[in-house]
Amino acid sequence: MDKKTKIVGEPSKRVDALEKVLGTARYIGDYKVPGMLYARVLRSSHPHSKIVSLDISKAEKVPGVRAVITCQDFVNNGCFGRFMNDQFILAYKKVRYAGEGIAAVAADTPEAAYQGILAIECILEPLPILSDMERALDPDAPQVGPDRVDGVHPNLVVHNIVHKGEPLELIQDCPVQLERKYHTPHQDHAYLETEGALAIPFSDGSLTIYSTDQSPFINQSILMQVLGLPQTKIRVIQPVIGGSFGGKNDLSYQTSAQVAALALKTGQPVRMTFSREESTIAGYMRDAMNMYVRIGADQDGTLRALSFLGILDSGAYASGSYLTTWRACIHATGAYRFDAAHVDLKSVYTNNGYSGAFRGYGNTEVCFAIEQAIDELADRLGIDPIEFRLKNCLKLGDTTPHGHTLKESVGLTECIEKVRALSDWDAKRKAFSKHNQTSSSLRKGLGVAIFFHGVSLGAEGVDNASSTIQVNGDYTISLSSGLTDYGQGSRTVYTLIAAEELGVNPDRIIMYRPDTDTSISSGPTVASRATVVGGNAARLAAQNLAKIINLAAADILHCRPDQLQRVGESFIGPDEEPVSWEMVIQHARQMGLILSNQSKWEAPQIDWNFETGQGIPYYAYHYGAQVAEVEVDLDTGKILVKDIWAAHDAGRVIFPQGAAGQLYGGIAQGIGYALMEEVIYDDGYLQNLNFNEYTIPTACDVPDIHGCFVETDNPIGPYGAKNIAEPAMVPTAPAVLNAVAHATGQRIYEIPASLEKVLLMRDLQRPAQHNLPNHKFLVTRQKILKVQ
Amino acid sequence: MNIAFKLNGKKTSVTIPEDITLLTMLREHLNLTGTKQGCEIGECGACSVLLDGKLVNSCLVLAPQVEGREVVTIEGIRGLDGGPNDLQQNFIDHGAIQCGYCTPGMILASEALLSAHLKPSRSEIREALSGNLCRCTGYQQIVDAVEATAKSRNLQSEGQKNNG
Ligand code: FES
Ligand code: FES
Repeated sequence: MDKKTKIVGEPSKRVDALEKVLGTARYIGDYKVPGMLYARVLRSSHPHSKIVSLDISKAEKVPGVRAVITCQDFVNNGCFGRFMNDQFILAYKKVRYAGEGIAAVAADTPEAAYQGILAIECILEPLPILSDMERALDPDAPQVGPDRVDGVHPNLVVHNIVHKGEPLELIQDCPVQLERKYHTPHQDHAYLETEGALAIPFSDGSLTIYSTDQSPFINQSILMQVLGLPQTKIRVIQPVIGGSFGGKNDLSYQTSAQVAALALKTGQPVRMTFSREESTIAGYMRDAMNMYVRIGADQDGTLRALSFLGILDSGAYASGSYLTTWRACIHATGAYRFDAAHVDLKSVYTNNGYSGAFRGYGNTEVCFAIEQAIDELADRLGIDPIEFRLKNCLKLGDTTPHGHTLKESVGLTECIEKVRALSDWDAKRKAFSKHNQTSSSLRKGLGVAIFFHGVSLGAEGVDNASSTIQVNGDYTISLSSGLTDYGQGSRTVYTLIAAEELGVNPDRIIMYRPDTDTSISSGPTVASRATVVGGNAARLAAQNLAKIINLAAADILHCRPDQLQRVGESFIGPDEEPVSWEMVIQHARQMGLILSNQSKWEAPQIDWNFETGQGIPYYAYHYGAQVAEVEVDLDTGKILVKDIWAAHDAGRVIFPQGAAGQLYGGIAQGIGYALMEEVIYDDGYLQNLNFNEYTIPTACDVPDIHGCFVETDNPIGPYGAKNIAEPAMVPTAPAVLNAVAHATGQRIYEIPASLEKVLLMRDLQRPAQHNLPNHKFLVTRQKILKVQ
Repeated sequence: MNIAFKLNGKKTSVTIPEDITLLTMLREHLNLTGTKQGCEIGECGACSVLLDGKLVNSCLVLAPQVEGREVVTIEGIRGLDGGPNDLQQNFIDHGAIQCGYCTPGMILASEALLSAHLKPSRSEIREALSGNLCRCTGYQQIVDAVEATAKSRNLQSEGQKNNG
């Protein structure tokens, strides 16, 4: 591990906390500029239709309406897509989900914009709705995906595999076998702040955009593409973001492009923000998955082979599912050794809204399946679930089923032992088993889940980031990164890293939010890559600046730079008085040194073969284990999570308070995923639009969590750091469900494990509604032709 | 219509359409944007304010209902020096903030609890905050911050009693 640090890993506070507690932080909805217009979008009220006609002429005449736009106001009809070009800024010819934008209006007031929407005449001709992902690849399935010329079914988004040996043959020979189907639901990000964007036009034809986007540089490049403007004309600035968890990509980019086009048309600033209902119906979700697991082990508890087939519902557009599928594929084996393993995942188009990135990015889904299967196998063998995992889990020197030999930084065994000790597993598990044999209807359970999670992008894309740093006139330091802080704390992490390298107080550093004019493109802020990739870039820039400053210090102190010592912020040489930071900076300026630096950090190349399903998918992995304690009331079906213990190998922890917060927050989302959260589509119509119908955990649903970090050294991360944001939630749902199985003796293969599933071990039938709930935001002025 | 009320300790009068909510009046007519909008149906607590000292969801209160009454928003929660008060400082110190969108509502809900209850247990704190959703923090550090504030306010008030 890196030598001793003074600031990194030590207690510190968030750089943006003060404005947030005072209520002065400005989010997109808090921006108001003179002459600002309000925008609103007409959204499809049908999940799959041809747009027969779209007439905006009446809307344009509504008093107060300043402009109306459709797909025709964009280059190439506004076609865009981050991984597949299958999406439009506003619908072109077809709508593929209920909630898809068709036209947008800008007006003097929100009311006038609403009247404008009502005056748009749109006629839809319904097409057959594809709502069952299992049917998507049938030869006669309604076509939702774009036309293809390569003979592949148009409803296939992507197909990924991991392949090692022939598992099916091996499983047949195994004395202990298990075959199961699992289902995970669509989950809503449910960030407290909904999406929005503000575009401000200037007389030279340029635009400044403020948007709730996860990656301002991606937003900028999409805007350039759909508006046909050069980079110099579009500046994207990040306001404070009220949570993202993977969710503020595509919809935020569409919204940005809509307000941008309206601003160009009217010459006035235009803002659009969403109601909760509109955010839910227009935005994207975590994909739903069906998974078919076959697994075999020897009588002595050695895992032998795994077959993991899965289908992933991407909904109307590919969005992040294109890569979620791959990440899910890589992680579907769990953190175990197998003699043979075959993972085969397909993501498909349907008319169920659409799905994209969400914390865990596919691993959250597959971990639920594999960790329940492993647990059930341990039960069958009569081996303690923790012993079984310890025996089979990945250790230093092991080769993963992908063919990756792990040469460093594998803290999994330590994590498992930690949660075992912290939770008092051995004694408690026994006591609960005994208790559950009594007649009490209050059952108790203890469950465990372990996992691994690839750090940063891996084979998902080019992986680099840049940072700029400079010393200002008042001796403060400005630092920028192209990666975004949407609440997870990366601005604090970069500040601490730069302070460490420069030997200054963190207060001296002003860390900017990304602005495409002043920071440098660093790819997407996804995959929990902010700490490793962005952190390395910030560290490199700070180190390079420190070298320049040390030259000046050495000059004043008449010594070599390597003889310099630091006391507080001051510099001392071998035998002279200390000189202050300010004096050194002044001296550097007199010497004519330029006190700024810009550095880029590039992740090592990884090597994955998509054809053979073998290779090195990621350069490092986060490992972890969680134990959940539950109480299940058999009379009411209520599941109470009483306690969670979590041990994570996140490499070196840079900002402990922030890492703990990520851990708690991720676990809370995992509890929601396990027990209450499910976006329900009824024949393509989303049913739960607001927090009264889509419930997320409150302070009473989450217990006090006992977390700890097992610090191994990731040689690639800054100071040995890995990641934490996503991994935190990955094992929570299976740990809870394994605890429920321990408590009740029954397994639930579908989440959320709702009341009826626990009581009846089956889902209650939902009455078919085939209707969009009548919410005020949704304007159903579109005429829908009768379905034949 | 015109309504007059006390806002963050100051007499205020404002002319508004009569069918708007307190939340809209605060954000759009008085430019107090610290009060957030998360759901508009009374489920998330992002819009929490104190009305005559009681916690309410301002999205469920019609603006004219506050006539003659007293409203406290996040902008009215300050220490003596105009900076953060002890509770806000504890939110900072305990890492009770991530994206910060729920924070103003959480602070007001916590103030409402602490004004009514001097020694809340952790589960009472959780209960009191259960009308305020936070998607980022998992609540733990928020509970820590409120617990720490309760302790220090108790010490202070006991100290005052002893001195008196
Ligand atoms: S906005 Fe008022 S409770 Fe959610
Ligand atoms: S800090 Fe983001 S919702 Fe609470």
